[in-house]
Amino acid sequence: MTWSDTISPDVEALVRQALSALRVKLGPDVELVPGYTTITAHYRTTDWTYPSLRDALTPVLSHPGGGGAPAGGRLIEIPVRYDGPDLEAVAVQTGLSVGEVVTRHTATEYRVALLGFVPGWAYLSQLDPALVLPRRTTPRPRVPAGSVAIAGAQTGVYPAETPGGWHLIGRTTALMFDPTRTPPALLAVGDRVRFVAEA
Amino acid sequence: MRLLRAGGLATVQDLGWIGYRSIGLPPGGAADRASLRIGNALAGNADGLAGLEIALGEVEFEFEHDRVFAATGAVGTLHLDGTEVPGWTTVAARAGQRCRLAPDRHGRFAYLAVGGGIDVPAMLGSRATYLPGSLGGYQGRRLAAGDRLPLGAIVAAIRVGTTGRMPAATGPVRIAAGPQERFFVARAFETMVAAPYRLSPMSDRMGSRLTGAPVQAERKATLPSESTAVGAIQVPDDGQPIVILADGPTVGGYLKIGVVITADLNRFAQVPLGGEVVFAWVALAEAQRVSRQAAENLARLLSEIRTAVR
Repeated sequence: MTWSDTISPDVEALVRQALSALRVKLGPDVELVPGYTTITAHYRTTDWTYPSLRDALTPVLSHPGGGGAPAGGRLIEIPVRYDGPDLEAVAVQTGLSVGEVVTRHTATEYRVALLGFVPGWAYLSQLDPALVLPRRTTPRPRVPAGSVAIAGAQTGVYPAETPGGWHLIGRTTALMFDPTRTPPALLAVGDRVRFVAEA
Repeated sequence: MRLLRAGGLATVQDLGWIGYRSIGLPPGGAADRASLRIGNALAGNADGLAGLEIALGEVEFEFEHDRVFAATGAVGTLHLDGTEVPGWTTVAARAGQRCRLAPDRHGRFAYLAVGGGIDVPAMLGSRATYLPGSLGGYQGRRLAAGDRLPLGAIVAAIRVGTTGRMPAATGPVRIAAGPQERFFVARAFETMVAAPYRLSPMSDRMGSRLTGAPVQAERKATLPSESTAVGAIQVPDDGQPIVILADGPTVGGYLKIGVVITADLNRFAQVPLGGEVVFAWVALAEAQRVSRQAAENLARLLSEIRTAVR
């Protein structure tokens, strides 16, 4: 199901509302996965055919308000120690002071549009325009888990040690993914996120 | 059982995860699920127990207890104490016996199911290894010499010599067009099926990279990141398709010209590195019909093996 080919807060809100309504209607047998402007339904061909699933979805999509409150929507605060290896370079490249970079990164309330890349990675896309930079020219082979990073109009927290090309501005002790926890991911689609600077 | 050598890429795999795509965890599990399921049936195991998936090289291990086992998938070398034993067959091993197993060059993944299954701790309900996140399986990593794999309890006596396998499928790998059809020029659909593609050695459990005639999109484009399916055929700007496999990313922004149909996913996963694959388009309704038929055929075979093995 595709709402648009371009990202906008309005489209993301429509996706969240439809997701909530569809989950109520279809239950756990159909795995519904949101994108920025889409919802993908994964199903077994032994349970559904494309026409039978489409017929089940269509009335919900016509009246998505029937599902109650949109998915998620909690406010999650993530404590950050702003001492990342790229913080100084980000300040130089943006023409801001280090303090101003931190102030702008912590001032925005971000909204989780989707998760992916690695388990627990949340896409947060409303970075302050003054902080927008291209990715690092040389990605790091290993970025430590808990690194708080920015690239393009996005910010995020590395849930696990992976390669990465984003600018590392800080680190958090928050566990973004913990398979022993229910739910395992700290953030869910629709959650609002605020980064809080630690002394 | 104890690993003496792990020459290739050996991991613990079962049927993976269901329901965690929206937090970024893909389905994972065996790349050729049918082969692992048949192996479990031959070893007298319940469906979905964990076994070994072996790619790229030979694994040698020693049994620490008397157990039955079955090797399936792309079985190449299969020796027990230096004597060749048959694949797709229930074989008995005594404690102390050594087994060597390697995939053959006509395929990509060999599977080993052992009576009781490999009993590493489950993560979110699965014992599969998800290498990109260093999660699950045996300490989240590929197996190495010296690893000791715990086995589960055996529930019943098993008849040695039981055999069973699916009839070898022939013909092109079937693909169905998806919702992003509109982004491709008409010729792109002919290109996909006009000549074979070769499987790049850069392929891994995340994706099979194809090299061949470039597939042309209407315009250079990526889309806002969205969910991807196993089997999805992504087309980056260079036109060389990448087919998502079990450990592939849950979201992506590449255009997708279509998807390998469910019925042919196991067969596609077994195309050897450097080997050729020919595609053919089928309509969605036909894709779903043959995929249901394939699921029924496999279920019937598994049930026949389970009857024969007791």
